Amino acid sequence: MMRIPFRVVFEQRGETPRRLSLLVPLASVLAALFFGALFLLATGYSPIDTYTNMFRDGFASFNGITDTLALSTVLICTGISAAFAFQMNLYNIGGEGQLYLGLIGGAWAGIALGDHLPTLIMVPIVLLCGALAGAAWIFVPAFVRSRLGTSEIVSTLLLTYIGASLIKHVIYTPDSFFRNPNTSFPQGRRVADSASLDSFGSSRLYPTFFVALIIAGALYWIVKRTEFGYRINVISDSPRAAHYAGINARRTTIWVMLISGALSGLAGAMLIVGPYGKIEPSIITLGYGYAGIVVAALARNNLGLIIVSGILFSGLRVGGNNLQVTTDTPIHIGVMLQGAILLFALGGEAFRRYHIHVVRVQDATARKAAV
Amino acid sequence: MSSTSHEVARGPHHNSGAASTALSAHSIDKKFPGVLANDSVDFDVRAGEVHTLLGENGAGKSTLAAVLCGLYQPDAGYLMRNGKRINLSSPRAGLQHGIAMVHQHFRLVERFSVSENVILGSRDLPFKLNRRDINEKVASVAESYGLPIDPNATVGDLSVGQRQRVEIVKALYQGAEILLLDEPTAVLVPSEVEKLFENVHAMTAAGKSIVFISHKLGEVVEISDRVTVLRNGRVTGHVSGRGTTDTKELARLMVGRDIELNAQRATHATGHEILQIRNLSLSVENVAVLSDISFNVHAGEMVGIAGVAGNGQRELADTIAGLISPTSGSVSISGAMTTDCGPIQAREVGLAYVPEDRLGMGLVPSMTILDNLLLTRDRKVVVDRVSVRPEATRLIEQFEIKANGPDHLARKLSGGNAQKVLLARELSGGRSATKLLVVCSPTRGLDVGAIETVRRLLNDARRAGQAILLISEDLDEVLSLSDRVFVLYRGAVVLETPGESAQLSQVGAAMAGLANEGRS
Ligand SMILES: Nc1ncnc2c1ncn2[C@@H]1O[C@H](COP(=O)(O)OP(=O)(O)OP(=O)(O)O)[C@@H](O)[C@H]1O
Ligand SMILES: [Mg+2]
Repeated sequence: MMRIPFRVVFEQRGETPRRLSLLVPLASVLAALFFGALFLLATGYSPIDTYTNMFRDGFASFNGITDTLALSTVLICTGISAAFAFQMNLYNIGGEGQLYLGLIGGAWAGIALGDHLPTLIMVPIVLLCGALAGAAWIFVPAFVRSRLGTSEIVSTLLLTYIGASLIKHVIYTPDSFFRNPNTSFPQGRRVADSASLDSFGSSRLYPTFFVALIIAGALYWIVKRTEFGYRINVISDSPRAAHYAGINARRTTIWVMLISGALSGLAGAMLIVGPYGKIEPSIITLGYGYAGIVVAALARNNLGLIIVSGILFSGLRVGGNNLQVTTDTPIHIGVMLQGAILLFALGGEAFRRYHIHVVRVQDATARKAAV
Repeated sequence: MSSTSHEVARGPHHNSGAASTALSAHSIDKKFPGVLANDSVDFDVRAGEVHTLLGENGAGKSTLAAVLCGLYQPDAGYLMRNGKRINLSSPRAGLQHGIAMVHQHFRLVERFSVSENVILGSRDLPFKLNRRDINEKVASVAESYGLPIDPNATVGDLSVGQRQRVEIVKALYQGAEILLLDEPTAVLVPSEVEKLFENVHAMTAAGKSIVFISHKLGEVVEISDRVTVLRNGRVTGHVSGRGTTDTKELARLMVGRDIELNAQRATHATGHEILQIRNLSLSVENVAVLSDISFNVHAGEMVGIAGVAGNGQRELADTIAGLISPTSGSVSISGAMTTDCGPIQAREVGLAYVPEDRLGMGLVPSMTILDNLLLTRDRKVVVDRVSVRPEATRLIEQFEIKANGPDHLARKLSGGNAQKVLLARELSGGRSATKLLVVCSPTRGLDVGAIETVRRLLNDARRAGQAILLISEDLDEVLSLSDRVFVLYRGAVVLETPGESAQLSQVGAAMAGLANEGRS
């Protein structure tokens, strides 16, 4: 039998050296860029040009940065949605579906209430309806999770598929309330003008960006400073201590999940009052809800970092997608680079948690024999 | 090495009089933010001896043990194994040099069998496990040190003492020559301690070395060949030779003053009934855990509950604290019915409760001392940490808690200091003025100085008119502090006796289930 003379050994660290906490994310991004460069070279593209273009189109041009912030508006919301649930070790994988429902809920309010109210009142109502719809979509998973312990991972994910069908249903069914009655081509019906915000100047950035920032700050504050946040911390760390202190874990679980669902729903409604103005069935191909999980993971579920990781990830995505427009690089290169950065960033965790080294197999056996 | 006669008589490995040094640590420094937990510590253990680390809570014993087994890397200093310098980057590296630690909190998988737990983490296992071979090997390792254990038993079904045995067998199976036992006896009942000591003798007779940590001075005197005393991270004393010292001297070495080692009862005129328990029964999955318990505790009175662990003490305490609903019967505190009302209601009428489990139940490990003080208090919608901070600082001082301040994380406290935080919170009143104090094993893991302090505080509390229910496996403590003692056996009160005139033999028999006279 052939034996490989070396073996990689993972040893769990008793304590993580502080410098690693800074070094590892940095090294991960560099490694990803290096890996991407190899890939670009192999397929005949110049890494330097590609990276410069990506950076320019994602961050360093007016359109680039405003598009990035516009996308981050949505991803920050879905990102906190995932990270907030994770504060209590709950995995809301179905932010995507809750976002669809937010789109439907927001569109419903924007159409049904008509053009009677001023924008200042109308927009918050639309956002609220979107958030409520998102919360409603997670209610059953939240309820069965808290009562019966049924895995929320499976239930929220399954509901996402139903949500996607629902989007198709409301757009493709003739005479649907949400369908534009004036065209034969299946399209969403526009919401009332009072339910639409104007973007800043010539950009595609909407004031909802600031709403997202405020919400991120508010949730951070809630977790750190309020009684509700205190409970979340106790329950996630030691359920028995929560029981001892008379903290109702079931109720808190339901609330945390409902809020998480509402945040994804809010992201959907922000698209209604912002760039979409109607239900766009193409939403089900964009994966903004899933991207929120990635944004949360990059921030290591730290609510304070979601804004940063949301903007970075959006820039990467905007820059990557623009490659195709500004150069002849296929979009898949951009997608591949996003994936590589993510993979390396998460893989870097292993270096923080484990001491990794390579041993010669002969050494190990020899030492064993000596003992 | 001391040349007392005790030394010579001790087994085959000492007939030369100078056994070789198996492991030594030289000028070890270990810093944590704000504390120097080990300050140029020198330490060594020889083949075939028991070397005890003694010291106050937070003196740095567990830290030194963690350095010795590779769990922590020292900031300065080095280790030598059999005269050769070694560098331990991890516990696994420690194991490769035959050094293993048995932690106070066991790290076993409850759903696995004994032998599965023992082989867990071993390298070089064949792809296909031969269970019979492994079971045989595990059993033979266990038996050769007098540690009989069924390799097929599920760990979840074992008692604490048996689990500890599994940890030791695991260490031996992995080839440990040096075992570090961090407060192994804190969780054991007296008969299990005796068993453990027999095992320790078997291991030292086979040439293994034991580093032992304990706060129980009687045990230390009994088992140690040498004792090293740590204080604030420094070595401050040595005692060599078994039987050359006594508990009083050790206590003085540890804290630098004379300590009252025996508990003193504070006799106090008792007042009206605070806790009333009527016909309390509890069944869990159709097994009776508590059966028909009735008693009262009066203001200013201390009632002790004695019994071997697992005879319903924990359930009794949890039921009084409103954490468990009894199957039948009632609990009332200070005249208010609290059965089925939940812990918050019980606290509102004056309950304070120190549970047996500190980290994970009484304290939240990842939270700060300050936040842990808030756990059983009334928190506003926006948690007001600012106004609690001065009190936190005061309690840290009053209870002599070794910490960097109110923001020290609970999990980064030494074992005894964590216990002090819990006691500080519960003894200082919470939602309302404390009327009833339920305390489980309050002095477990505390050093002699802290034990003295805690007993004084308990006595102060009863002088202030609080009713105290003391639940402890430490029989001496229960008998000497309590006015009345109840013995719990299989969930029933089998003996009631006044604390003062209690006969040890009678109580002991009752604890073993041999009481034939019922309650008076
Ligand atoms: N991971 C950590 N981070 C920060 N401080 C720590 C950490 N571990 C221990 N300490 C501090 O180091 C000191 C020594 O702790 P150690 O656990 O070694 O004490 P100990 O002698 O075992 O005490 P005890 O008898 O109470 O268990 C204490 O002041 C403790 O607060
Ligand atoms: Mg310790």
